[in-house]
Amino acid sequence: MGMKKVWFITGASKGLGLSLVNQLLKAGQSVAATSRNIDELKKAVNADTGKFLPLAVNLADEKSVEDAIKATIAKFERIDVVINNAGYGIGGSIEELTDAETRNSFDVNVFGTLNVIRKASPYLRAQRSGHIINIASIAGIAGATGWAIYAATKSAVIALSEVSAEDLKEFGVKVTVVAPGAFRTSFLTTDSLILAANPIAEYEEVRAIHSKYLKMDGQQVGDPEKAAAAMISLASMPNPPVHLLLGNDAFQRANTKIEALTKEFKDWKAITISTDFDN
Amino acid sequence: MENQKVWFVTGASKGLGLTLVKTLLNNGINVAATSRNLNDLIKAVGEHENFLPLSVDLINEESVETAVSQTLSKFGQVDVVVNNAGYGMVGALEELSDKESRENFDVNVFGSLNVIRKVLPQLRKQQSGHIFNISSIGGFSGNFPGFGIYCATKFAVVGFTESLAAEVKSMGIKATVVEPGYFRTAFLTQGSLAVPSAPIDAYKEVRESQAVHQNDINNQQPGDPAKAVEVIIEAAKSENPPLHLFLGPDAYQIADAKIADVQRDMANWKYLATATNFDEVGA
Repeated sequence: MGMKKVWFITGASKGLGLSLVNQLLKAGQSVAATSRNIDELKKAVNADTGKFLPLAVNLADEKSVEDAIKATIAKFERIDVVINNAGYGIGGSIEELTDAETRNSFDVNVFGTLNVIRKASPYLRAQRSGHIINIASIAGIAGATGWAIYAATKSAVIALSEVSAEDLKEFGVKVTVVAPGAFRTSFLTTDSLILAANPIAEYEEVRAIHSKYLKMDGQQVGDPEKAAAAMISLASMPNPPVHLLLGNDAFQRANTKIEALTKEFKDWKAITISTDFDN
Repeated sequence: MENQKVWFVTGASKGLGLTLVKTLLNNGINVAATSRNLNDLIKAVGEHENFLPLSVDLINEESVETAVSQTLSKFGQVDVVVNNAGYGMVGALEELSDKESRENFDVNVFGSLNVIRKVLPQLRKQQSGHIFNISSIGGFSGNFPGFGIYCATKFAVVGFTESLAAEVKSMGIKATVVEPGYFRTAFLTQGSLAVPSAPIDAYKEVRESQAVHQNDINNQQPGDPAKAVEVIIEAAKSENPPLHLFLGPDAYQIADAKIADVQRDMANWKYLATATNFDEVGA
């Protein structure tokens, strides 16, 4: 792993976040990690080391995020790698999910990530170094039936990563967006996944897709430990990618999406290019 | 037959929305159109027998619901919904406050979702309808320095439209996301394009991008809104409309470059991307 770095990781009490924290601590890295519930986080990580800073943070609250970043700087004096990992899946048709259900998922998956970037950026710019790694999903590249809002949040994360990769370049700060496929975490358990509280009977296909996904729980082909190791390896690369897919399934879905899009794109080319002013 | 169709268009007091509404009305089509300010809307469009101007706060679900009810009371049905309301925002992620960022999402994302949520019961009842969500080429490519929040809102629109198209297909309802390049509207003018209230001087490239858009691109956009509108009206008549409708040679080129960028990242990093399955699962 080379040089010792300071890591700031959100959503660390389970899933990929927990795998990341455990691997990093084992390698002797300094890690500040956040969770809504600090007791759960401490229990999950179970590390008795001065190199671990567990933080109770409400990511949707700018002030709470700012306090967490300040506490990290106070303890470790710098931040080298920020991993915006917190997020959860939300299923339902657009019609079924209320404005409140929809906004709750954006709060964590999008606005929480933005709060962290906004509050960490001053330190990264001052250091003239750092790497922000945002965890999106293959759903942010290839949308699917029943996951419209989840796809929207993850597409938004891809966008803000692409743009900030360019905007932060002049400060020596790198940005990578990771789009994982299905990994064997608790993502698909009823504890983690939110489904529309008021389903509408007519959306039969949405229901069918959801039960198919829920049956996949525990059967996902992706190993979270390997995903965590791949993400950790990004931080020591001189020229990391802006987009990193993770998983054969993600790779295949992205390819299929690009093929379909390229075809549609060509089919409609004549119309697409017909809209400029005549002169 | 086409003339009996009913359109519902948001953000209609200027730009693409206004051009669309005027063109539809000139063709004798029934149009319900929304704006925050009813007087602005009526002044911009004029009075027409088959026009229903509506004052709507798109981020208020009830206000949206009322607008849909009023449309059904007057016209009895809704056939084409165009989520056009939205505005641009330029600034680094660090510069734009949580509040400023959320305001852009309120209109560009949550407003459109409110309309979709409130109009779908009627479209499902009809077993027909076509929802057009106006995104942007910035909803497909993030190669727009300083437009992080705006691109995030427009990527979100693309993301949910793809899923929407799939989830309502069996009910006879279509969805298309429109991704225009630069069109000559008021989009980039002062008062329309939002900028950070607390800019940070160090972001030189962001400021440069902002200046280029405000001074050089504004009023010089190659795209003709009248032609964009004709294409959307044609797509609404199509039996097999596209899911993604890119508009403008610039949009085509930017989309092409984006696909190439992603493919290059995918090829270069395939070894890392495809090495994460459990050992016993294999590749």
